Amino acid sequence: MAAAVKDINLDPTFADIDRSVRAIMEPPGLRYWLWIGFLLALTLTGGALWTNQIYNGLQVTGLGDPVMWAVYITNFVFWVGIAHSGTLISAILYLFRTRWRTAVYRAAETMTIFAVATAGLFPVIHLGRPWFFYWLAPYPNQRFLQPDFRSPLTWDFFAISTYLTISSLFWFTGLIPDVANVREIATGWRKKFYTIVALGWQGSDRQWRHFSMAYLLLAGLATPLVLSVHSVVSWDFAMGQLPGWHSTIFAPYFVAGAIFSGVAMVLTLLIPMRWVMGLEDLITPWHLDNLAKVILLTSLVVSYSYIVESFMAWYSQDPIELMTFHMRYFGPWGWMFWVMVACNCVIPLLLFSPRIRTSTVPLFIITIFVNIGMWFERFVIIAGSLATNFEPSQWRFWHPSITEMGITVGAFAWFLMLFSLFARFMPIISMTELKEGITWLKQALRQGYAKAA
Amino acid sequence: MSAEVELVGAFADEERLVHCIGQLKAAQTRFRVFSPIPSHHINSAIYTRSSFVRWFVLLGGITGIVTAFMLTIGTSLEWNLVTGGKPIASIAPYCIIGFELMVLFGGISALTSWILLANLPTFEPLSGYRPRFSSDEFGLVVRCAEADAERFESVLRDAGAQEISREAA
Repeated sequence: MAAAVKDINLDPTFADIDRSVRAIMEPPGLRYWLWIGFLLALTLTGGALWTNQIYNGLQVTGLGDPVMWAVYITNFVFWVGIAHSGTLISAILYLFRTRWRTAVYRAAETMTIFAVATAGLFPVIHLGRPWFFYWLAPYPNQRFLQPDFRSPLTWDFFAISTYLTISSLFWFTGLIPDVANVREIATGWRKKFYTIVALGWQGSDRQWRHFSMAYLLLAGLATPLVLSVHSVVSWDFAMGQLPGWHSTIFAPYFVAGAIFSGVAMVLTLLIPMRWVMGLEDLITPWHLDNLAKVILLTSLVVSYSYIVESFMAWYSQDPIELMTFHMRYFGPWGWMFWVMVACNCVIPLLLFSPRIRTSTVPLFIITIFVNIGMWFERFVIIAGSLATNFEPSQWRFWHPSITEMGITVGAFAWFLMLFSLFARFMPIISMTELKEGITWLKQALRQGYAKAA
Repeated sequence: MSAEVELVGAFADEERLVHCIGQLKAAQTRFRVFSPIPSHHINSAIYTRSSFVRWFVLLGGITGIVTAFMLTIGTSLEWNLVTGGKPIASIAPYCIIGFELMVLFGGISALTSWILLANLPTFEPLSGYRPRFSSDEFGLVVRCAEADAERFESVLRDAGAQEISREAA
């Protein structure tokens, strides 16, 4: 780190910020396109497996009674959860005027959009006849389908579509001044593209006046939305009678888990991006430290939720509930539960160390563990509870199929490909907000590199 | 009546610009500011009232709530099947949809209203705009009679404008 500190300008100007962000957007080299090609190949493989599934039906998956929801719904909940931290960082921390958000919020928001776009694929992939996907939309119709607005699945449709729309609007609004900035130095097709996206923004007092009010109100609208969306997702399960699902703790438990996994994913993306794109002068160890503290806090909340959930099963003395939890810990899928506990409750405790919170390699490894742990958490809750439901004679444990695993890998590749493309062609760091809080950036640089310098 | 001109002053400093805005307001002349960042100081120096965007958002939010209850209650009455022993029109669960559509309609209203009120999209540059005003400098464009141009040039210069140019309005 000390070698890098020599090159870092601890007293940047507006022009320095522009120069750093515009440098990321230089035409990429061969290695970048190889990376994109690799991700595209994996995405297409996932697409081919899905095509095969459409042709042959859901028999090519490991799904079967009683485990009708497994990897696809796990992926859906996982990606919706990942999407949460973006709006948390961009909207909630904006309202609280949190200083460290400015450098990282655009990346987090971008991650949100692409994570919701990935999550939205899975309810459709999960369908046996995906060409009837529009039957999911609850509206009065002539198809003898009753749109039941009392169903949590219907609430989920409204929650996810609202979340995707509002996150996209918030993201797009924030992008406009930055795109106008890069428009001024772009040439060729890029200039035309940025001119259209920026809508002709020039930063006049009139434009800023209405922009600022809209941005504030969008943040205000997005804040309760963040809390509501994952609560609604949790009610997909909690409203059911199934042991392991039917619990009042699910909404806060899912929201905390979503923020936990989402912030971990932000760091999983930011740490390599900071290294590859040379963003040490904009994303400092101070920013990483603060994000790591959020992971630590939410890890403790999630751990507490696991304890309370188990306590409530024991306290109920309901034999079916007790057996479900016994199977969760010690059944054939018990190893998944313990992987989840290790990744989500034990490993994040390392973040109590300030040295680890500011060391990129250990921090990156911890975030990978958190991502793995949170995926398993979703799976344990969803598929684990279904596998060991009321009737032991019906118990059946799902086995993974190549199709489900391939589509899951393809979804990760699709998400990373979208993020990588955005990071090179659009301003992945908000120049406008960094300049607005330039004194905070200088403070972050001094604090972040004080020890190394 | 003498011809009008526009004076374009470039500022490196927000504080000096705000000071200059105060003087121009006192002189009751027309001006426009360009800024690379959103500035509460600039906004409150120019405007005394908040943006109308908030009223559009309120209207959008109310429309969302009304739409949600019309959709849910109306559809339930049309498909009057009792499920789970619950009332045909179950208000409590419909509040969730009411909340979601309030946010959705309010957010869409926020975006459309600020874009329209800001006169966007526009692909013609506003007079006096310079690309560097989107990057690292603040711009102040004063429209005045040619006879007053020298007086306002000195106001801009005294306020700390780094560069002043004169253009036909």
